Amino acid sequence: MDTPHYVAARVQQAIAEDGRTNELGIRVDVRGDHLFLRGQVAGEDQVHLLTDVAREAAPGLTVHNEVTCVEVREPGEEEHL
Amino acid sequence: MSIRVAAVADIHLSEAQRGTYRERLDGIEERADVLLVGGDLTRHGTLGEGKIVADEFRGLPVPVVFVLGNHDYHSDVEQEIMAVLREAGCVVLDDSAETLLDGRLGIAGGKGFGGGFAGKSASEFGEPETKAFVRHTREIAERWRTALKSLDTEYKVVLSHYSPVKETLAGEPPEIYPFLGSYLLAEAVDAEGADLIVHGHAHHGTEKGMTPGGIRVRNVALPVLQRAYATYCLDAEEC
Ligand SMILES: [Fe+2]
Ligand SMILES: [Fe+2]
Repeated sequence: MDTPHYVAARVQQAIAEDGRTNELGIRVDVRGDHLFLRGQVAGEDQVHLLTDVAREAAPGLTVHNEVTCVEVREPGEEEHL
Repeated sequence: MSIRVAAVADIHLSEAQRGTYRERLDGIEERADVLLVGGDLTRHGTLGEGKIVADEFRGLPVPVVFVLGNHDYHSDVEQEIMAVLREAGCVVLDDSAETLLDGRLGIAGGKGFGGGFAGKSASEFGEPETKAFVRHTREIAERWRTALKSLDTEYKVVLSHYSPVKETLAGEPPEIYPFLGSYLLAEAVDAEGADLIVHGHAHHGTEKGMTPGGIRVRNVALPVLQRAYATYCLDAEEC
């Protein structure tokens, strides 16, 4: 089996370069047979695509997708400069 | 008289957000005089996504100023994306300057680029690939100086995608700082003077920082703000 370190790097690269995702800020960790994705993306649809791309880049590992959607609140108070 | 500047970056719109972004900007005319959007407007930089951005920002009651980000360059149609945004009545800065609000507010800037921060930055030395990387930032900084010099306005704001300082990157892994910004951008703005620098790109960074020359820097990446946009009031006495 590949060294977990390189598997994680390969998955991170795939997530950045795959046209379905193109996400640069996703953290990938491999522990045994489990692969963990963490971070934030702009849209709900994007969360599921990350799982697809990670599964294809690391077949045989169980993907745990802990990525969330960016929450956007009201504009709020202004800052005086 | 004061000016209220609304700003956000890294909205990363794609097909899934078509028709849904606009409502976040409802009532912006009551909160701000201008809206700045600091790049990474799209996910993949396609013209289709560029058109979605143009539609979401078209006809807002306040002037809108864009710069592009690295994602908007990914499909090699950045000029076409700029054109559709301009057709929608928005200003797009590409290492240039624009005067708004009856000549009171000057905005200069563009995408910016990386290279790192003073003492820990890449140099124009060695392989052609390294030289080209550093030269790209250097040339951008030079064009920003020219753009800022051309402005004769009450207030000057710089809009960028990449960061001019590392303070607003706090939260990002330090190993990737050279890909998140360059001190050359801050140096250029410090030399010419401005009231505020707004940038995005560092999704895990921090909102507030300052240049070595004392100019306020704000990272307005949407994941950092976690609100529709930030509003900065220039000239606090009147706000
Ligand atoms: Fe971004
Ligand atoms: Fe970016």
